[in-house]
Amino acid sequence: MARLRIPGRTVRSRWAFAYLTLAPVVAIYLYLRIIPISQTFVMSFFEWNLIARRRPFIGLENYANLLRDQAFITALTNTTIIAFGIVALSVPGALFVANLLARPRRLSALYETAFFLPVVTSMVPATLAWKWILDAKLGPMNQLIGWFGVPPQAWLIRPELAIFSVILLSSWKVLGYNMIIFLVGMRNIPAMFYEAAEIDGASPVQRFRYITLPLIRPILLFVSVITVIQSYNVYTQVYVLASDAQGAPGHVVRVLVYDMIENGFRFFRMGYASAEAMVLLAIVLVLTAIQFGALRDQR
Amino acid sequence: MHRRWIGLIALVAILGFATAQKTLTVWSGYPELEPFYAHVAAQFEAENPGVKVEILTQPLREYERRLMVTLPANSAGDVLEISSAFAARLVQNGLIPPASADLAALVTGGAYADFYIENASFEGVVYGVPLFRGQGALFYNTAMFEAAGLAGPPTTMDEYLEYAKVLTQRDASGEPIVSGWSLRLGGGGSGIAEKFWTIMHQYGGSIVTQQPDGTWAADYANDAGYATLKLYVDLVNKDRVVTPELTGDAQGFQLQTTAMFIRESWVIGDIAAKSPDLPYATAVLPRGTISLPVNLYVTSSDPLASQYVEAVMRPDNLRWLLANVGWLPNRHDVDYGDIIAATPGLDGFINVPADQVLFTVPPIEPIDEIQTRLAEHLVRAFTDKSLVDNEAGIRSVLQNAANETNEILRRAGLR
Repeated sequence: MARLRIPGRTVRSRWAFAYLTLAPVVAIYLYLRIIPISQTFVMSFFEWNLIARRRPFIGLENYANLLRDQAFITALTNTTIIAFGIVALSVPGALFVANLLARPRRLSALYETAFFLPVVTSMVPATLAWKWILDAKLGPMNQLIGWFGVPPQAWLIRPELAIFSVILLSSWKVLGYNMIIFLVGMRNIPAMFYEAAEIDGASPVQRFRYITLPLIRPILLFVSVITVIQSYNVYTQVYVLASDAQGAPGHVVRVLVYDMIENGFRFFRMGYASAEAMVLLAIVLVLTAIQFGALRDQR
Repeated sequence: MHRRWIGLIALVAILGFATAQKTLTVWSGYPELEPFYAHVAAQFEAENPGVKVEILTQPLREYERRLMVTLPANSAGDVLEISSAFAARLVQNGLIPPASADLAALVTGGAYADFYIENASFEGVVYGVPLFRGQGALFYNTAMFEAAGLAGPPTTMDEYLEYAKVLTQRDASGEPIVSGWSLRLGGGGSGIAEKFWTIMHQYGGSIVTQQPDGTWAADYANDAGYATLKLYVDLVNKDRVVTPELTGDAQGFQLQTTAMFIRESWVIGDIAAKSPDLPYATAVLPRGTISLPVNLYVTSSDPLASQYVEAVMRPDNLRWLLANVGWLPNRHDVDYGDIIAATPGLDGFINVPADQVLFTVPPIEPIDEIQTRLAEHLVRAFTDKSLVDNEAGIRSVLQNAANETNEILRRAGLR
């Protein structure tokens, strides 16, 4: 078969066009992402106070101090618990809901919209609504658990409950997004597999266990890793739940981004906050590498 | 013909330049003060045609962040209202210029006590003009006191504890529905430590103290700190006088879910606006209280900025501030007698006995971090039931926190 030959000039002009169209995007990405990240990396080796005239180079001291900083360790621990807690709650939840909605029915679109609605709701008003739901005195959550004989709980005051509250709110927020990804995967599974299983007498649970789950495993992995990565950036929920209310979890639920902002913009220790940012970046990079590695293995 | 046109254009340009509006920007971290600055601005604009005063107020923490970003970039307001403790680091780093000669003369001319002059100065040079102070006192609900058979406010710490128990109202299950004494148990970080500090001051303690060699050290892992933390732990976990779930602070006092609490004078204005019929009075604390001076600083070289500050400090305007907002002006050569007489709530703030010991937050750079980090230890300890009747446990909490405080001081080169 004759190979299609493109004159050299045309190839060059196509490459030029490609570079030209990509250039603005690359430039913006460079300006808004790469340069700030590089500067943050450099700052993390300095004692960089926002207003101080002297900003001495201190090598790895900021990183060494992080390991001794109880607030940072607490923040890292809380963030990790929250991140994996959100995965533990939202991924199986989304999987369950997606499985129920996988076969299009009359009101499927309505249910999908209802579950997806929290995703498009702005985080601040959503968190304010949850703040009211979880209020120790007036919140409906305490009324709900009261029907089961459980005494009222201080959801936003007790540290362990406050962490759970953040997990609950965040899982509710992300469940719809995960559900949609699962739905796309499930609806792409050829119907003949299920038909064959039905002929063989497989129960719905068995069909899910032996057909659906193995076939959406790459999607499951993708959703889990993406959820963990996003959850490591948890901040708005904690900040809003904590905003100017007595007994709120601002300092009970210390998370990485909160700690970073406090060090950088309250205590003005930009160098130290930069070191924290680099640690967060490293965690996200490791998780991304795991995701890429695992997905490659799936192929 | 051409000459006539050129002359006309020049005239218009000159007139336009002469009547061009000058804008003066005033920044504040206390939103409740906006009406006060606007009140002064209206006078100032009338006296200076062509001058427009723009006022920007923000919640305090956001405002402090704004200052830290805009001051190094020379884009902050012309007149800045800053607490002396926070301003210290800005002055020390050359971000705020000294006050003009006229303002310095106003400050040192006998209108202010030495305490306020010192807190507005650095190395003997006046930088700020003292405006008002955040001073604490006891607010108590007189009707609840009367119902509990208490004749007047507590005067010793033992009485505080006793009255708190007597004043607490409970539901059938024994849970408090009205707190006998609302303590700050959560919320914004440094505020928790500041309120703890005020109570610890009654026992003779301080969060940090300056050593004879000029360095600083934590000063709460001691008997005063122990007595204070024990008070919190007992009132929350043992006596159940106050709980984190109960609405407390100014809001709780206005909703009558707390019988007494310690706060600054701004609450008087807040009560007048939100709960004018609330039966209450104020009283001084047993040993003394916090007094946190807030000053005005001028960053602009335009003389108008200094003139605006002078206008703010006029006796009539300071009287307006006290009568309408409730913050206590620092200028003492002004007659506030009729306002105090008409506002009994001011009694606990103005009629302070001579033997009262005032303290202030020291102007050292990491003080906010010290208080915020201490607050985290305290918040955990307040609701820790294992600390009830556990002296070793309470002292251990304080020692761990003090070690962290000393580490922060060491890092800042202050220890």
